[in-house]
Amino acid sequence: MNEDPTRRDVLHTAVRGTVLAVLGGGAGFLVRKANGQIVWQVDASRCINSRLGETGVPACNLCTTECVVALSAVRAVNEHAKCGRCNICPAYFKITSPVNERGYPSEKLCPRDAITRRPIGKADPDDPANNFYEYVIDESKCDGCGKCVNCNRCSIAKACPQSAVVQLPRAQAI
Amino acid sequence: MHYRHSATISPQFKSTLTGVAVDAHGQLYAAGDSSIKLFDPAGQLRRSWTASQPVLSVGVASDGMVYAGEARQIEVFEGTGKLVHIWRNPKLAGRVTAIGFTGDSVLAGDTWDRAIQRFDRNGTFLNSIGKDNPVNGLLIPNGVVDFGVAADGAIYAANPGKHRVERYAPAGQLLGHIGRFDGNDPTGFSGCCNPTNVAIGGAIYTTEKAGPRAKMYDFEGKLSAVIAADLFDPNSKNMDIAVNGNGCVYVADTVKLAIFVFEPVNA
Repeated sequence: MNEDPTRRDVLHTAVRGTVLAVLGGGAGFLVRKANGQIVWQVDASRCINSRLGETGVPACNLCTTECVVALSAVRAVNEHAKCGRCNICPAYFKITSPVNERGYPSEKLCPRDAITRRPIGKADPDDPANNFYEYVIDESKCDGCGKCVNCNRCSIAKACPQSAVVQLPRAQAI
Repeated sequence: MHYRHSATISPQFKSTLTGVAVDAHGQLYAAGDSSIKLFDPAGQLRRSWTASQPVLSVGVASDGMVYAGEARQIEVFEGTGKLVHIWRNPKLAGRVTAIGFTGDSVLAGDTWDRAIQRFDRNGTFLNSIGKDNPVNGLLIPNGVVDFGVAADGAIYAANPGKHRVERYAPAGQLLGHIGRFDGNDPTGFSGCCNPTNVAIGGAIYTTEKAGPRAKMYDFEGKLSAVIAADLFDPNSKNMDIAVNGNGCVYVADTVKLAIFVFEPVNA
């Protein structure tokens, strides 16, 4: 039996802690080396997708397609300290979908239904606008498409036309 | 109701354009960088003076005193630009992003408390506005508290997380609200958190971010006009808005650092 790890195994280990930071707003993501001190992180201010709807630039899917592993190493998490809690979260809802009878967009954004949310504190059933929400991402479903942060991208870093993926010391990462 | 873009004022700020206000004589005050600039009704620069800190908002009282909202303080100037007071108060713990007046009170939007703080003209704290709701403050993901004051003294505060403009009594009671979310129909407010800014004249005037636009609603909440959308930089947000006695609307584009003037045109 061959005990040598395959390239895929190595990469799987290397990117196990991959994180996509911050839903919506000031989004970024991280590709974290499991035992290393260096991580990959997307600079959301440079990522094309983070500005979708503001600049009219076309969507970029390279984060999903350029990773050497089958299910992109990019993962999303919700960094509540920077973004989250909103009732109408553009990372959760497809905000251009028709509004339903409860006043919410009728469609969700994530194509893999990887995002769920739950109210923080006591929910107000009579006026949903009074509620805060915590958003949670199921990493086993997330493929790093970046629609939720409007972001995406290591092989990916090379492909990003905006050089939005940067390497940072772990302590400086989100 | 329709509006046309009638003028663009370039106040020549280097980095920021944070606030606009109009006085009873139609003079325009613009806040940006660490200064305030005064323009006559024709848009000509008449006066400019510096503040001790970056100015985050500006308001002009009926007696002509000019209030500059800053971080944790308000500077009060005479119309000539002479500094007469600096207000510091524990209730001004954050950035003061809006200034207004109702009766004998001075109102300050405080981002730390997510509320509007009401003071008397001597700077004595009276009460908070916007705290008396289930989420203990205004939902301001954009980091700005903004409001307008109607002729009857009611305070109309932007509550962007709720996609509403809320109407408050000066003592703080919530009296009602207009607005709802809609990502397509311009009668609603789009995105995560709009409107960002509010002004009151003969109607309710609002601005939004992503994509930026200015709109006018009647006091029942019915959309009267989309004043403008395409004119603004796509990344402009927290665009302060003011309206004069003739219904002319001033919108501060925070990226282009320009003030766009819109005149009403009755169809």
